[in-house]
Amino acid sequence: MSKDLAARPESALGRFWRKWRFHLNILLILIPLGFMPRYFAETALFRGDRGLGQRVVGDIQVGPWSLKLAELKERGPELDGASGYMKSFNAELCKACARRVKATYLRIGKPRSLRAAGVIFFGSAHRLGAGLPVPKNTPVDAQLWITMEGWDGAVHQAAIPLAEASPRTVEWLQAQAGR
Amino acid sequence: MSKKSRSKLWFLVHSWLALPIWFFVLIVCVTGTLAVVSKEIMWLAYPEMRATAPSEDARRLSFEEIKDHLAQKHPEAIIAALYQPDGDYFALNATISLPGGRTSMAYVNPYSGEIQGFAPSFDFRRFTRALHGWWLIPATNGHSWGWYLVSFLGLPLLGSLVTGLVVYKRFWKGFFNPVLRLRHGARIFWGDLHRLSGIWSIWFIATISITGTWFLVQALLEDNQVSISSYSPATLVMAHNSVPLTADGEPPPMISLDRAVAIAREKIPSLDTSNIIMPSNTYGTLQVGGRSWYPLIPQLVDIHPYTGEIAASRLLSDRTGVELLTESMRPLHTGDFGGFWIKAIWAFFGLVLSLMVLSGLLIWTKRTALATAAALKREAREERKSRPVNTVENIL
Repeated sequence: MSKDLAARPESALGRFWRKWRFHLNILLILIPLGFMPRYFAETALFRGDRGLGQRVVGDIQVGPWSLKLAELKERGPELDGASGYMKSFNAELCKACARRVKATYLRIGKPRSLRAAGVIFFGSAHRLGAGLPVPKNTPVDAQLWITMEGWDGAVHQAAIPLAEASPRTVEWLQAQAGR
Repeated sequence: MSKKSRSKLWFLVHSWLALPIWFFVLIVCVTGTLAVVSKEIMWLAYPEMRATAPSEDARRLSFEEIKDHLAQKHPEAIIAALYQPDGDYFALNATISLPGGRTSMAYVNPYSGEIQGFAPSFDFRRFTRALHGWWLIPATNGHSWGWYLVSFLGLPLLGSLVTGLVVYKRFWKGFFNPVLRLRHGARIFWGDLHRLSGIWSIWFIATISITGTWFLVQALLEDNQVSISSYSPATLVMAHNSVPLTADGEPPPMISLDRAVAIAREKIPSLDTSNIIMPSNTYGTLQVGGRSWYPLIPQLVDIHPYTGEIAASRLLSDRTGVELLTESMRPLHTGDFGGFWIKAIWAFFGLVLSLMVLSGLLIWTKRTALATAAALKREAREERKSRPVNTVENIL
């Protein structure tokens, strides 16, 4: 210890720092404590404790079939690495149609053919999930198209305004356009 | 630099590697220890997780028999996966989805096929892993910063091991003449314990720190879109026309799960099938997986669910040397590759490592407290010698 340091009277803050500096890292425990409510909320959300997602869009009739569509999270698209901005939707097929539907797809804008029907839903008829890419320049009045393919070859389609499917996504698009 | 001052420097480096964040390191060690045996702890707490045989000669049901039983008893449930945890004492885990969009893990008795219960909403196993693995910090785009925070500790841990061995002169002698003095005060006791547990944990600390550092490297690679994998998930999507339409508009019958297991065994004769994952949608494959002679890395066979053809497979022989090494990192870190006793050894040494962090801190505070007192005394003596008394009094 230099004479200078020994001679100078220490401030209260300095004394506190010297005494506790190696124990301050106990405060790091506050980080997981702070994130704990979110951890449990997200675990419950992904498990579907409160249904398909944070916001149920509603039952959508697609030809003779129907599905219940929901936003997994009530918020705009999230950046997912190289995939760009993605928006997660969940769905449950109607009881009568669960066995008749071969595949369900989601796309922004009308698909030109079944080959370009968009992203396919994964999961079981009770809980399907699809990650929809949302380009930043998507028009705010865009339509969300649902395509359902039957085991007998039938193809049925329906569209709802994106603003109805996810108001937050449209808000996000407006914010992007403003930039 | 003289030999003495060099070793002093090493000692300083050793003390400072963990000291400023000792509590964080301690909690990461403790939660890691708990995570290793988290499933076993849950087994103790939840009887529904146990595979209790109804009689001595009871037979374990096959995957297909389990599926049939569930379909009969719970027609509303859709099975997504069946998984037999490592250890006969665990009930089978069935991931199912229920009307309303809820997914749940059901614990199924492997002898009767009955659902004994569901994973509790507070899942201790997942919780300890999330706490240890990423400090509960949610991932946003790529790995969460909690993942980096924890995995970065691999480096100071490796540094502590190396500097510790440099500082501990002729440490190998400690194997033959273990010293643990109980009656010479706390400082001596903790010092002996720190050194003794240190030398017996060399292999463990090396394993944990190297695999932990790998998690850091892995996150850096993945978050920068650098792939070293030879595995393409695109092969798991079947061509649109390979799943034909049906005349009656109902899905075609899927091959039986036992047939799928048989197909996988033909491909990998030594396969110990532990899990079956159902097709994730119409164009997905039926995946059969399990371990074989090299217990660290699972092998997978992807089967066309309607024809029984093998669509893709991921065998040990498909992996490059680098992949064999990197894919072994996680089981080496968690001790999950050889049943209960390996996990028990990992948990024991995890506890020892936690104690080393604590004893390191105790040594530091005791030694430093003494050293500081001695330094102050010395300084005061020197001041009295070199300065007129009244000056010192003026200062004070």
